[in-house]
Amino acid sequence: MKELAGRLAALDPDAGAALQVIAYFDRLVEGRAGLESLVRGAAVLSGCAARLVDEARGVRIRVGADGVRQDGGGPVDPGWMSAALVPGDGAAVWLERTGPPNGVHAMVLERAAAAARDVLDRTRGRAPVEGPAADPASVEVLLDASAPEHARRQAAVRLGLRDAALARAVAPAGGPVVIEAMPSSGARTPSVGGRRAGIGPAVPVPGLPASAAAARTALRFTAEGSEQDPGPRIVYADDLGGLALLADAVGPGTEPVPDVRALDRAIAAAPWAAVTLHTVAFATSLRAAAAELTLHHSTLQDRLAQAEHWLGWPVQEPHGRLRLQLALTVWRLHHNQRL
Amino acid sequence: MTATSSSYVPPAEGRTGPPPPFDPELAAALDVIREQLGDTLKLNDLPAIRQAGTLARLPDEDLRRDGAIEVEERTVPGPAGEPDISLLICRPAGAGTGLPAVYNIHGGGMVLGDNRTGIDRLLDWAQELSLVIVSVEYRLAPEHPHPAPVEDAYAGLVWTAEHAAELGIDPARIVVGGGSAGGGLSAAVALLARDRGGPALAGQMLLCPMLDDRNDTPSSHQMAGLGVWDHEANHTGWTALLGERRGGPDVSPYAAPARAEDLSGLPPAFIDVGSAETFRDEDVTYATRLWQAGGQAELHVWPGGFHGFDGLAPQAAVSQAARAAQLSWLRRLLAD
Repeated sequence: MKELAGRLAALDPDAGAALQVIAYFDRLVEGRAGLESLVRGAAVLSGCAARLVDEARGVRIRVGADGVRQDGGGPVDPGWMSAALVPGDGAAVWLERTGPPNGVHAMVLERAAAAARDVLDRTRGRAPVEGPAADPASVEVLLDASAPEHARRQAAVRLGLRDAALARAVAPAGGPVVIEAMPSSGARTPSVGGRRAGIGPAVPVPGLPASAAAARTALRFTAEGSEQDPGPRIVYADDLGGLALLADAVGPGTEPVPDVRALDRAIAAAPWAAVTLHTVAFATSLRAAAAELTLHHSTLQDRLAQAEHWLGWPVQEPHGRLRLQLALTVWRLHHNQRL
Repeated sequence: MTATSSSYVPPAEGRTGPPPPFDPELAAALDVIREQLGDTLKLNDLPAIRQAGTLARLPDEDLRRDGAIEVEERTVPGPAGEPDISLLICRPAGAGTGLPAVYNIHGGGMVLGDNRTGIDRLLDWAQELSLVIVSVEYRLAPEHPHPAPVEDAYAGLVWTAEHAAELGIDPARIVVGGGSAGGGLSAAVALLARDRGGPALAGQMLLCPMLDDRNDTPSSHQMAGLGVWDHEANHTGWTALLGERRGGPDVSPYAAPARAEDLSGLPPAFIDVGSAETFRDEDVTYATRLWQAGGQAELHVWPGGFHGFDGLAPQAAVSQAARAAQLSWLRRLLAD
């Protein structure tokens, strides 16, 4: 290999060197080598560090010219030689060497990209790029902290998480938990197809059981987003803070506190009560709430006076507002028992 | 016994299952390696291969590693009544005295190589663990059959141990080691040191060692025609060393350590080998026999490894793991 690398660097890209590059990657594919092996081949054959970056799938692999895996190494330089896995897709193989790819380097990039595309298709599925890992049995094993470690690792590989530094659990309403690899940029829109969902924190793969538990908790804080059930359809566990403690306090047999019963009565009494109280409770000001509800300011004042009568406490002063926020949140936890 | 015993006969088929698959990265490298090394080794090919090897001899400049390594060649007495031998001595610059040492016996099937063959790996150890490398230039078969190679190697070891203070070496921490034929010679030198009351060795490092002239294990048959150093090449090497005695009843354990009946009282061994190579079974057996004799051995069988994979394809993930294991053993063995 050393000799090969030396020869490729020294030689003009004659037919012999090109054929060796092709044969090298063909053998890797034949042996079902993994992504790291492909990146290592690119690095060793071209005599410089190489990378495979597929942000959408959470894949980021870097191997030095000596064949040693060394992730990191700073951002990709757009001036480096690269080859896209699929034209227009963001995923690409990079050589840390500036200039347009030529000769042997072009051949290395082309073969490495083609081989990486095959592996990604095989291990992660071709489409959709944003699609969550949705093999329920593998997810179940991965999320079972008591399952043997090797079984959980294999499940992670099946779910395309072998090279993911971070991943998160997503708990959609009415469906099984799915796992999403996180891109290194750290942000990703959850793929839930418009369903209500709780989103767990991004964690290293072994920590996914905790992320799933947090996602299920977050799901209980979601709402339909309708007039009768106003609130966010997607809730991030990371954003709950101390509210998460309330989820443990409200179980199937928990007796509703008086404020929740009062809220039930108000919502039953007027069709506008739920959305009006929710908007007032969480808007930055009464004026903003009126605008959001497309109500005249005085109409909103009238409704609030009526609602305060049903509830039994003033909702516009700071303490009353917190009491209303808590009542709405606990009310939702009671109503979301079956999610 | 006539000339028929030294002519090559391929093994009969059907004694084993199919060969274990090569590691994918190693398989990819193997195509290139075989193009450069050839598929097997025949005695007729030796002059041309040696000529190429002489041209590729590592210059002092490369050994010095920008001044990190001090390089010295010493001519020292060979076996009694035989020519002097040459030792290549490499030490980390400014490392002081009382250092551990690896006494290196190079590989090359008993017929190829010089005391700089594969020295890169040893220089890595020298720098990493601050140890001295002493690498012996022994006479090669077939021009110099057994016992010339092993006696040269042993004479160099005795001289090294006797001159340890002068070389800045701690005589209690000398490890003998080598790869392939050098691994076999290292095992043989350890047997000689035991039997002749020679230097007390701290360890024996046997990297994919060539131990058994009978060339008749299941793995030697299973891998015939495949990988690096196949059944025929092995036949060539042993025949060069032993002539018509190869595989017969009168082979000395100092030529083929697998022939030794007593493996007790030997220094701790490190043995590694690939699962897809001729030497797999004889090396595993040797480790097993060391344990059975009450000795200490660390055995690594690397899946899908061909002969010498970690030297020929050092970048592969499995090669990195194999090299890390070697370094780890040395570190534990030689810790102050």
